[in-house]
Amino acid sequence: MGHTIAEKILAAHAGGKPVRAGDIVVASVDFAMVHDGRAANALGMIARLGAKHLPFASKTAFVLDHYSPPPNIEAANTHRAMRAFADQHGAVLYDIGDGICHQVMPEGGHLTCGDLIVGTDTHSVTYGAFNALSTGVEGTDLAAVMMTGRLWFRVPETIRIELKGALQPGVWAKDITLSMLGRFGAEGANYRAIEYAGSAVSAMEIDDRMTLANHAAELGAKAALLEADAKTIAWLEAHHARAPQPVRADADATYVERIEIDATALVPQVARQHQIDDVVGVPEVQGRKINFALIGTCTNGRLDDIRQAAAILKGQRIAKGVRMIVTPASRQVYLAAAREGLLEALTRAGASVEAAGCGTCVNITGHLITGDGEVVISSANRNFKGRLGNDQSEIWLGSAATVAASALTGMITDPREVAGGKWTASGRAAA
Amino acid sequence: MDCEWQGGSMKNIKGRVHLLGDNINTDVNCSSKYLPGKDNATIAKCAFEQVAPGFASRFAPGDVIVAGRNFGINSSREQAVHILRLMGVAAIVGQSFGRQFFRNTINNGLPAIECEIAGIAAGDEIAIDLAAGQLTVAARGISRTVAALPPAVQQILAAGGLIAYLREHPDWQLA
Repeated sequence: MGHTIAEKILAAHAGGKPVRAGDIVVASVDFAMVHDGRAANALGMIARLGAKHLPFASKTAFVLDHYSPPPNIEAANTHRAMRAFADQHGAVLYDIGDGICHQVMPEGGHLTCGDLIVGTDTHSVTYGAFNALSTGVEGTDLAAVMMTGRLWFRVPETIRIELKGALQPGVWAKDITLSMLGRFGAEGANYRAIEYAGSAVSAMEIDDRMTLANHAAELGAKAALLEADAKTIAWLEAHHARAPQPVRADADATYVERIEIDATALVPQVARQHQIDDVVGVPEVQGRKINFALIGTCTNGRLDDIRQAAAILKGQRIAKGVRMIVTPASRQVYLAAAREGLLEALTRAGASVEAAGCGTCVNITGHLITGDGEVVISSANRNFKGRLGNDQSEIWLGSAATVAASALTGMITDPREVAGGKWTASGRAAA
Repeated sequence: MDCEWQGGSMKNIKGRVHLLGDNINTDVNCSSKYLPGKDNATIAKCAFEQVAPGFASRFAPGDVIVAGRNFGINSSREQAVHILRLMGVAAIVGQSFGRQFFRNTINNGLPAIECEIAGIAAGDEIAIDLAAGQLTVAARGISRTVAALPPAVQQILAAGGLIAYLREHPDWQLA
């Protein structure tokens, strides 16, 4: 019997002997990441471990993105400690404004096809877009990796998801995951890896593939894996990644489940307030009033997301009373969006553009707190009650296009309607 | 860290049951994520207060948590397990666990056992034999087989967690 991508990558990193789902292996890690939200714990664990030398430090990124900029002394001191520690041990530092960990890791060329990556964040699954097995860990794991370069893993079972057909113009990877959350529920892929394949995946640009892999965290997935193609290789080469070693699943690999989804039939989706898996098609809730429109985060703050928003809002003005914030995922994304004139288009339309970082995903910087009864539509990944600092407000989730369309009208709106003829046949919004 | 715990024989666990429901989010109930600046001892005193008022004051060291589906979902801070250890939780029996939470329990020497929980009530005496993979509530005639943890995981648990394990075995000599 053949093997899944997860089985092959873990086997290759654990001495080469074939492994099966359910096995426990100790595997060599290629690169690691810790961000400021979990650094205090990780540094505490490194101290407890008592290691004098951390040979893996040069392959560990320290990213200051969550508390960006720091809202209190505690966070500022965590940043201080991270800078000093990175300097002392030779870790790779990304400071405030450089961007979200899941964007700067691939942009920095720190990962490639076939890699095994860990990061102290559930959305570390994002790197699966590049055919890397990547998963979220905690401070103890990070300490172990920094000292030994290795970590224990349970080889996950894999679900194979075939996305057939082609997404309609105005429908995006975000809509695919939201519809799957509605169908399978949050934690619907708990402990498992997901392999995404099919024509709709092949047609996606890298930005949308990253959304697809990233958002698998909400399904509870341990990893989300895409196969590499010419787009993947070209992107990695452009970002000076190590030589890719693409890994494909065997035709006779063992899966716990095989699912086929017709991408052609999909309409834009939203997750309703408080529950990530309470998902409906936008047409069902069209017209619901919104107060805040947020674009950004590791799920949908990339250049293609900002392009979608600008395509809808260029030359327009967002609805009266609606507040809109756009947070590019990284400094590189920010600069690219500026060069294309997208930031100007959005700012003229009434949006505020913030420095790159985790931004408005969760109220930990304190710079965005919603009012009682206010409704937020966000391109983020979670909508738990109170996530934006007020449990008397609502957070709805949708694609960047749905968020921008809703900002324009002041109510939840199908982006295919407001964009009208502006959507090109290839699915790209013509800005 | 508020405490330094020791490993030891985890072969046989015996304790009183405290029940919790489905989808218990440890970020909300058992970490400082929404209680910034609070130390672990303070959080331990009000752990699970929102879902089970008075839970921490009823809980005695050596007792066992029995929970429903998806225990420990959300971003699942390791701190939640530190707080459970501080409370003296001997083991958690759940129908299923959040992935990261499950990893954190092993790394921090707290046995988490996936098992059907139907018929188990608050206050019951529960016995768990980790090596044999057996869960028993004698008073109710419940005896269930649970998947025995892989030897490698048992070693990390027995050492008291991954940090303690690597202090003894920096070369990862797992079984």
